[in-house]
Amino acid sequence: MEDRQTRERPPGTRDAERGVAVRLAGITKRFGEFVAVDDLNLDIYEGEFFSLLGPSGCGKTTTLRMIAGFEEPTEGEISVAGEEVQGVPPYRRPVNTVFQSYAIFPHLNVFDNVAFGLRRAKVPRDEVASRVTDACEMVQLAGFEKRKPGMLSGGQQQRVALARALVNRPKVLLLDEPLGALDLKLRKEMQLELKSLQEEVGITFVYVTHDQEEALTMSDRIAVMNEGKVQQLAGPTTLYETPANRFVAGFIGQTNVFSGTVEAADGDRVTLRTREGSRVEAVVRGETVPKESEETHVAVRPEKVRFGESGDNVCAAEVKQIVYLGASTQYIVRLEGGGKLVLYQQNAFDATGPSEGDGVSVAWDAQNCLVLED
Amino acid sequence: MRERVAKGWSAGLAALLAPVTLWLGAFFLIPLLFIVAFSFGTSEVYGGITLGFNPGNYLKVFDPLYLKIIVRSLGIAALTTLICFLLGYPLAYFIVFKGRRWRNALVLLVMVPFWTSLLIRAYAWVVILGGNGIANKTLQFLGITDGPVNLIFTPEAVLMGMTYSYLPFMVLPLYAALEKFDVRLKEAGKDLGASRWQTFLRVTFPLSLPGVIAGSILVFIPSAGEFVIPDLLGGSQTVMTGNLIQNQFLQSRDWAFGSALSVLLAVLLLGAIMFYIRRVGTDKLEGV
Repeated sequence: MEDRQTRERPPGTRDAERGVAVRLAGITKRFGEFVAVDDLNLDIYEGEFFSLLGPSGCGKTTTLRMIAGFEEPTEGEISVAGEEVQGVPPYRRPVNTVFQSYAIFPHLNVFDNVAFGLRRAKVPRDEVASRVTDACEMVQLAGFEKRKPGMLSGGQQQRVALARALVNRPKVLLLDEPLGALDLKLRKEMQLELKSLQEEVGITFVYVTHDQEEALTMSDRIAVMNEGKVQQLAGPTTLYETPANRFVAGFIGQTNVFSGTVEAADGDRVTLRTREGSRVEAVVRGETVPKESEETHVAVRPEKVRFGESGDNVCAAEVKQIVYLGASTQYIVRLEGGGKLVLYQQNAFDATGPSEGDGVSVAWDAQNCLVLED
Repeated sequence: MRERVAKGWSAGLAALLAPVTLWLGAFFLIPLLFIVAFSFGTSEVYGGITLGFNPGNYLKVFDPLYLKIIVRSLGIAALTTLICFLLGYPLAYFIVFKGRRWRNALVLLVMVPFWTSLLIRAYAWVVILGGNGIANKTLQFLGITDGPVNLIFTPEAVLMGMTYSYLPFMVLPLYAALEKFDVRLKEAGKDLGASRWQTFLRVTFPLSLPGVIAGSILVFIPSAGEFVIPDLLGGSQTVMTGNLIQNQFLQSRDWAFGSALSVLLAVLLLGAIMFYIRRVGTDKLEGV
């Protein structure tokens, strides 16, 4: 299944013959007994904004460090821009990294930080000056060239790290959770800025993050990783709307999962008898159709559940908790047959919802349900 | 009240600083003023001193005999500092970056010599390097030399003894400076196209400069004023300023000249260090 998805073209690609910027072929990385990355196969295309998304310890940073050259894979081959990079030290690879902690040289001012790579590459003085100035302008740091890093805010340091890497015009830019240290507002701004910057320069970005929202906002394609393996590789919409398995469904956004046995399977329509004893109807959209009396899971997103009495699935429930989230309100209800369900309601105009302890009826449609593998 | 708070002063802080102020005033500042006063005085025949303004003590320094000793002292001190740096930097680097769980143990080992007094350790060298010492016995046993060779009472012996004594003063500040170093910066250097050596020159070394400066000052100052080691391990050719000063006070009983030498040495060292900090501290290492 992974293999099929690796060959898939990124969504929004018009040019079918897009080049491969980074190819990971059968990459495994072990640290002693621990398998950090397990037989990873990935093609990252030229000019793509590609994200590696997963919880900490899933192997995403290790993968990035192997592309950069700070770690060598135990097995498998990595190619960057069509050339194998086994044993090639980081300073000879056509990639640059934006580090999580920025790793800006504290003894050098902004100009010298940004010029570092160009000077090592023996770029002529005049060209260094003009390229550094351009890079600083691009990340809105013009006028800060003489400042020492200690005099910059976190957001500005982040921009220096970005300019310092981009100024070298790498084939691939590697970003290791670069926005993790910024506050929420700045992070949101930088997300959009990074995305438009990437479109402007056209360089392949490989972006590591544990923040699913960040990955959804910026990426062309996302590889969701867990325990060293890719769980699903797809564009943001596909990931959210049709997660491949329980892990992805739970990691990308919030979801309600019912586990139980298949009571009836009629074409693409499945009826699940949950462990709590209630029935849930779902429409199968993946290629695996569960058979009768099989164990499986059905998921439904909180925003696809509503208060009401019409729908494929209707259930009496009691409101246990209400969390006001601004644009929407989150309700946690206890279903009559047992089990909890989360649902969101938009706070449009003067919509008023039930209060805590109220008896309500919740409903959702079979076509909004997903049958998930384990 | 506000202003006192703004300046960071309080009665509590003043009370805490009082003992050390009194101590340094009574046992450092006042004796120092005496020395400065003596240096402009005139020594009497039987060792007494008449205060006054006599610049003759300072002019006496320009006698080639004394000038040579001062220049030699500064030379030996500089050489000691250089050797300590060349030996100490790789050691500190190794302990920080390759020491792993042995790091603390290795730092402790660097400090082990301090558990014994300097004087005893210097005497130990006399025994080792002497005509019948272990060093000569070993050389003969290995067939490198036929008979005892003169190892002690040479400038090399002094240099070795000084390096031995002051090496920890170089290693510890270097360790402290390198220990704070963020290894990600090394990765950033390599990521930006700098080889290992270039990364060291452009990133690691410049960031360890505070340690280099502190270490060299801690070695250079006591080296320049050293008198125990040249006294025990050096001969007549390796008399240093420290020995000269000691002689003026204890043997020649020319306190005025001894004081002048002391003041001069202090001023020279102060000047050298200020020059050094200016030079190295603001040296623009990047920007070519």
